[in-house]
Amino acid sequence: MAFNYDKYLRLEKMPTLWCWGCGDGVILKAFVRAVEKMGIPQDDICVVSGIGCSGRFSSYVDFNTVHTTHGRTVAYATGIKLACPTKHVICVAGDGDALAIGGNHTIHGCRRNIDITMIIINNFIYGLTNSQTSPTTPKGMWTVSQKSGNIDPTFDTCDLAIAAGASFVARESMLDPKKLEKIFIKAMEHKGFACLDILSNCHINLGRKNKMVSAMDNLKWIESITAPKKKYDAMTPEEQLNILPTGILKQDTEADEYCDMYAEVIKFHQGKRKAITQDDFAKKI
Amino acid sequence: MASKEMVNPGNQPVWVNTDNCKACDICVSVCPSGVLGMRYESTSTLGAMISIDHPEACIGCNECELTCPDFAIYVADTKEYKAAGFSFAKLTDEAKERQAAIVANNYMSLDQQGVK
Amino acid sequence: MATREVISTGNELSAMAAVDAGCMFFGGYPLTPSSEVMHEISDLLPKVGGVAIQMEDEIGGICAVIGAAMTGVRALTATSGPGMSLKAENLGLAQMAEVPLVCVNVMRGGPSTGLPTRVSQGDILQSKNPSHGDYKSITLCAGSLAECYTETVRAFNLADRFMQPVIVLLDETIGHMHGKADLPTAEDVKAGIVPRKRFDGAPEDYFPYECEPDQPAVLNPMFEGYRYHFTGLHHDRKGFPTEEIETCRKLIQRLEDKVELHKDELESYEEFMMDDAEIMIIAYGSVSLAAKESIRHLRKEGIKAGLFRPITIWPSPAEKIKEHTDKIEKVLVVELNIGQYHSEIQRAAARLDIEGLFKVNGRPISPYEIVNKVKEL
Repeated sequence: MAFNYDKYLRLEKMPTLWCWGCGDGVILKAFVRAVEKMGIPQDDICVVSGIGCSGRFSSYVDFNTVHTTHGRTVAYATGIKLACPTKHVICVAGDGDALAIGGNHTIHGCRRNIDITMIIINNFIYGLTNSQTSPTTPKGMWTVSQKSGNIDPTFDTCDLAIAAGASFVARESMLDPKKLEKIFIKAMEHKGFACLDILSNCHINLGRKNKMVSAMDNLKWIESITAPKKKYDAMTPEEQLNILPTGILKQDTEADEYCDMYAEVIKFHQGKRKAITQDDFAKKI
Repeated sequence: MASKEMVNPGNQPVWVNTDNCKACDICVSVCPSGVLGMRYESTSTLGAMISIDHPEACIGCNECELTCPDFAIYVADTKEYKAAGFSFAKLTDEAKERQAAIVANNYMSLDQQGVK
Repeated sequence: MATREVISTGNELSAMAAVDAGCMFFGGYPLTPSSEVMHEISDLLPKVGGVAIQMEDEIGGICAVIGAAMTGVRALTATSGPGMSLKAENLGLAQMAEVPLVCVNVMRGGPSTGLPTRVSQGDILQSKNPSHGDYKSITLCAGSLAECYTETVRAFNLADRFMQPVIVLLDETIGHMHGKADLPTAEDVKAGIVPRKRFDGAPEDYFPYECEPDQPAVLNPMFEGYRYHFTGLHHDRKGFPTEEIETCRKLIQRLEDKVELHKDELESYEEFMMDDAEIMIIAYGSVSLAAKESIRHLRKEGIKAGLFRPITIWPSPAEKIKEHTDKIEKVLVVELNIGQYHSEIQRAAARLDIEGLFKVNGRPISPYEIVNKVKEL
């Protein structure tokens, strides 16, 4: 027997509706392997996904699953986590979902540092709706909404998450499923908001007009724009320009987690502690 | 819990569930040992289907399984496989050359000719 | 039944009611004139171990509430017109996935930013269909301070009975009104809680959306061994997306029928001096207070006016309205909008000669305006 994926999959939903060679499936597989390694019971995990190709992620895994409206994964997950702080809540969203329509929720999830693992599947395009520009589409690429070439500047998901206050920020690509599995384990073990920018391919909707018509061509391109953090740090600023560093970019185990902080609020209201004041945070301000 | 597709169909190092395979070529591209290749298959979505041409060359690296997006290819568990009295192959120069030829043949098995 | 006297505001009473009704989660965003609900409940909930969170926006508020409600707890959000507009899409998801929650809407002047600190009843039609698509909203409207409490409690019980959002409409006047209210005791409220139905059989036999064509889904709380799928897409009996024709039709028809065929469980209205009335005034919310006052004046002058006050606004008490309008010739609808409920009364009465007294300048209607209008009829 091979690794028992079936335990975690909703087999009647297979094969997935994703296109041939889609990175979503690789990410799904790495996630399932990570859960198995961590030994978390299926009933203790909730996977919340949004709209887009990544939105279907939740219907393939046999956990408690929620398929929400466009961009609202973190908001739904916040409610679920606060109501059940001992459970594992995982958000899966695409780049358009998490950074465009749901940008606000992503930022504030990071800011609260609530213990949610957010997997942003970043394929640089709106894939499900046929190639519209996303916040991560590289400038100059063809998109169906900007056929003369994308002029919208991109932003860096990890920089955003770090600036917004997420305590665990990492980037990996689906090129290396083993690394992916490890990063999922580290993110889920981390207490606090873990924001993962997982680079994935969409040779169908990004690649077809941008000279990456097969999954392998698209993956080669992803390889060409990424470098492990160590290598990246050694580069000159000019070399760094179009390169995205991979690996763990931030890990702060000291940061206050939101559910823990709310437990203090409950203690105050139940007369078990004094009011929370600025002094409680003196060291951190 | 496990479906029949996941169970080793007879002490194979690597086997496939053709129901799930979408012929994306990824597994063929990551195999270091020239075990896999695509075959023309008119009934398949993309006109091709994965085939295991050289199981005897499988080194058990698991790359194909990990990179398959569709849960279509499985590699035997190393311990179980050894316990059953089998062993994975060592990576040979011949295998590496075969792999390079398969990649050059557009991920098609070497006996498959024509334009893909 | 024992009662208690509480001096408070409408907004605070609805927060109090939520906690007494077992609410354990609040998610919201500050929005005049509803903010006091959040202010009050952020003190009350932690006391009982619950959570109140101010989210980053209105949409975040409703999403967090739906998320919490999926885990099985009773959850509340509060807002006003602009917030309702923002929450609309996710209220639609709660309708589709059949997640129970209560949304208090303290109405202010609209459209758009409108008159944030002034009163209006302009959200009546919005509360009928806040989101796109077909479903049947349940909307209650409080007409007194005590009802801010009792209707919020009822909303929680109805949400769990019908497995869908229930909107409680307050308006700025009643939300900010400060006074004495006779309330049922918290013990009585607790005793009246009817918890959500749940399935106790084996997980493999559990199909949350497989139910009688007029019944709501049976959704077990998350994390308890019954794994299924929530989605806003058309879904099958286990909650998974489907486009199968009959499944889709049955689902939407059931969302309609679960309310439509059980209207009797929802119907609620007040009749004030209606026994011998020759003129019927129809008003709801804070306007009904002015209407009652005007009726007392009119009666002193020998004019036999009465008030019909719908409490469950949607679905409307249409049959009861028709019963009255068939007998009473002069019918006047008084509301703080340009006839939003007036059109519903016309529909229910099947009459086009229903009179209206409307006001949309952000000020309340005074009893004298109603008296004068009635005399003109």
